[in-house]
Amino acid sequence: MKPGFCLFAAAAALYGMSGPLQAADPIVTDNRVITDDRRVAILEAKLSSLNKQVELIQDAKAIERLQQAYGYYVSEGLGGEAAALFSDSPAASIELAQQGVYIGKKRIREFLTHGGEGLKDGELREAPIMQGVVHVAPDGRTAKARWRTLIMSGTYGDDGTWTEGPFENEYVKENGVWKLAKVHWYTTVSGSYDQGWHKKHYPAAGPLADLPPDQPPTQKYETFPSFFLPPYHYLHPVTGKPVAWD
Amino acid sequence: MTLAKTISTACLTLSALAAFSAAFAQAPPPPAVSPEMQAKLAKAYARVQAIQDKALTVSNVDELRNLQGIYGYYVDKAQWDDVADLFTDNGTMELGLNGLYAGKKSIRKYLYSLTGGKPGLRAGEINNHFQLSPVITVAADGLSARARWRSIIQGGTYGKGSGGDWGEGIYENEYVKENGVWKLKTLHFYTKFYAPYEGGWTRAPKDSALRYGKSNVRPDKPTSVKYQPYPAHFTPPFHYENPVTTSYVFGADAARARGTSESKPPKTVAELEAQVRALELQVDRLQSAVDVENLNASYGYYVDKSMQDAISGLFTDDSTLEILGRGVFIGRDRVYEYMRRLGAPQAGSLFNHMQLGPVTHISADGTTAQLRVRLFVMFGQVDRAAQWGEGIYENTFVKENGVWKYKNLHGYQTYYTDYDKGWARHSAGMFAPFAGYPPDMPQSVAYDAYPALFTPPFHYRNPVTGK
Repeated sequence: MKPGFCLFAAAAALYGMSGPLQAADPIVTDNRVITDDRRVAILEAKLSSLNKQVELIQDAKAIERLQQAYGYYVSEGLGGEAAALFSDSPAASIELAQQGVYIGKKRIREFLTHGGEGLKDGELREAPIMQGVVHVAPDGRTAKARWRTLIMSGTYGDDGTWTEGPFENEYVKENGVWKLAKVHWYTTVSGSYDQGWHKKHYPAAGPLADLPPDQPPTQKYETFPSFFLPPYHYLHPVTGKPVAWD
Repeated sequence: MTLAKTISTACLTLSALAAFSAAFAQAPPPPAVSPEMQAKLAKAYARVQAIQDKALTVSNVDELRNLQGIYGYYVDKAQWDDVADLFTDNGTMELGLNGLYAGKKSIRKYLYSLTGGKPGLRAGEINNHFQLSPVITVAADGLSARARWRSIIQGGTYGKGSGGDWGEGIYENEYVKENGVWKLKTLHFYTKFYAPYEGGWTRAPKDSALRYGKSNVRPDKPTSVKYQPYPAHFTPPFHYENPVTTSYVFGADAARARGTSESKPPKTVAELEAQVRALELQVDRLQSAVDVENLNASYGYYVDKSMQDAISGLFTDDSTLEILGRGVFIGRDRVYEYMRRLGAPQAGSLFNHMQLGPVTHISADGTTAQLRVRLFVMFGQVDRAAQWGEGIYENTFVKENGVWKYKNLHGYQTYYTDYDKGWARHSAGMFAPFAGYPPDMPQSVAYDAYPALFTPPFHYRNPVTGK
C-alpha cells in the first residue's frame, strides 16, 4: 500500500461518513472561538451584499428589456413610444449618426416623430438591437451599455439599404424605473442593397434642415470606407486598461 | 515489520481515526438554540428568501433566453424532433400566415413537411434562423412568460434561385414552466418579408413573404391574426405595454413566484451558513452569465476593429483558438499573432464580426462557462469586394482570480459568400491555414463549409428532454 493511497483512504472515510463539505470545511464554528451572535452578524452582512448584487443583476436585465423595447418602437416608426422611454431629466439626449444632439424629452420627441408616427405601406426600417455589453453603476442608479444594430430599410420598389453601427447609451433609474438617459448611435457603414456597400456607400445622415438640433454632433467622423473607432464606455474586461489601437 | 506493512498499519489506524472523528462530527448533540437566536435565524432566513426570489426573476429570464436561442440553433439544421420537444404537449405553432398547428404531434408533422417529410436539411439547403432582441415578461407567479423576439433568416438551396432568401420577422411567444423546466407554449412568427437575395426586400414580388413556412399539411386552426406582410405596413401586436409610461419594474413582485425554492427555515447557525453559501454561489453564477456575455460581445467589438492586443488580452495564458479551417493555436501570444495576421485596421476596410444569440451555461461550481453564439460577418474592401459570412462558435470560459477569460474559442464556418452573388450561388471553401504561419495542431473537427451539411456540436443537451 502506498502512502498516497493511505491518505486517500483516510479522506474517503471522512467523505463517506460526513460528506465532502463538512470534511473540507475550514470554517471554525466552535463557540469558544466565535459566538453564534457574531456568526449571524457576519451572515447578515453577507446577505446585505448579496442583496445588492442580485439587484444589480436585475437592473442589467431591466435595461436590456428597455433597450429592446426602444428598438421595436423605432423599427415600427413609433417615435412617440420610443421618446416616452427617456428620462424626464433636462439633460436626457439623443444623437443619431451625424444628425446632432437633441436635448430634453420634448425635443427628443420632436426628433423621433419628425417623420410622423407609424410607417406608411412600402416603408421598412427594421433595426434589431444586438450584442449588448451592459454595465450598471455600483450604486444601481445609472448604467451604460454598448449595443449594435443592423438596419434593413428601404421603400418598396426602390433600392434597399443595409446600415450598421454601435450605440453607446446611458440609463438612469427614476423612482425605481429604468429610463434612457442618453442614446448615441454611430453609423459604421451604410450601403446600397442592389450594389453592396463596397460599391455604393453613403455618409452618415446629417442634421435635419427643418428641425435643427440643439447641439452639433459631439464628434465628427465618416462612415465606411473611413475606419472610425466609436469609443468604449468601459475598460478592457480583463486587463482593466483603456482600449485603443496598438 | 516491512516498511510497507508499517505504512499499511499506520494507514488503517489513520483511516479508523478519521472514520471515528467523522462519525463523531456527524452526530453532534443538537445545540440548544435560544429563543433569541431562533428569532435571529428567522429574520435572516426571510432575507435569504427575498434574495432567492430576486435571483429567480433573473434565472427565469436567463433560462427563457437560452430556450429561444436553442430553438433557433435547432431550426437552423431542421432538427425538428428537438424543436418539437421544446413545446408543451398542447403547445401551438404558427409561422407566417400558414395557420395554427396544435399539439406536439401536429407541430412535428408540420415541421417535417417543410423538409420533404423527414427531419434534417437536404443537400444544399440552408435554414439559418437568428434569434435576436428579446423583450421578456415573466408573469408574477413565475410560471408563465411571454416574449417578443426578432429573427433574421437565411434560406435557400445551393444552386437554385437567385442566391438564397433573406427573411425577417417578429415572434410573440408564450412559455410555461412545467416541473421547473421552461417550455414553449405558443410560438407565433409574424413574417415581415421573405425575399429573394437578388433585389432584396424592396424588390421582392408582393407575395414572396407567403412562401415562408408554406406546407401541404393542413393546419388545425386558421391563422389567428390576419395581416399583410411587407410591403404593407403591419405592426405585430406587443404583449407588453410601454415599460416607462407604465412604470415597469423588473421583478417587482418577485415574492409571488416563491414555491419552487427547496430551502427550509434553518434550525442552527450552521444551517443558515450553508444556505448563505449556496445563495452566494447562485448569485455569483447569475453574475457570471452577465460577465461572460459581456466578454463575448466585447470580443466581437474588438475583432470589428482589428484590436489584436485587446482581443488576446481576453484569453488565458494556455487558451486555444480555432477558427474556420485554420487549425488550433495554443496560448495567448499565438492568439495575438493570429489576429495580427488578419490585417491592420485601415481605411477602406470593413470587418464587422457580430456576435448574436448567445446560449450561455455556467458550471455548477461557477468556475467555468460555455457559450454557443452565432458569428455574422459583414466584410468589405471599398470598390473591390464585400462578403457576408456566417458561422457558429462554441466557446469555453474560465474564471481566473475572479476574472472571466476565454479558455477555448472554436469558430465553425458555415459560409462566406460574395455579396454580389449570395450564399446559394457562392460559398467559399474552408479557410485554410495561414501560409507561413502554421497552427500548433490541425483542425480538430473535420467538416466542410456550406453547401455541405454540418451541425457544429452542442455544449448542451435538449433543455426539455435532457437528450
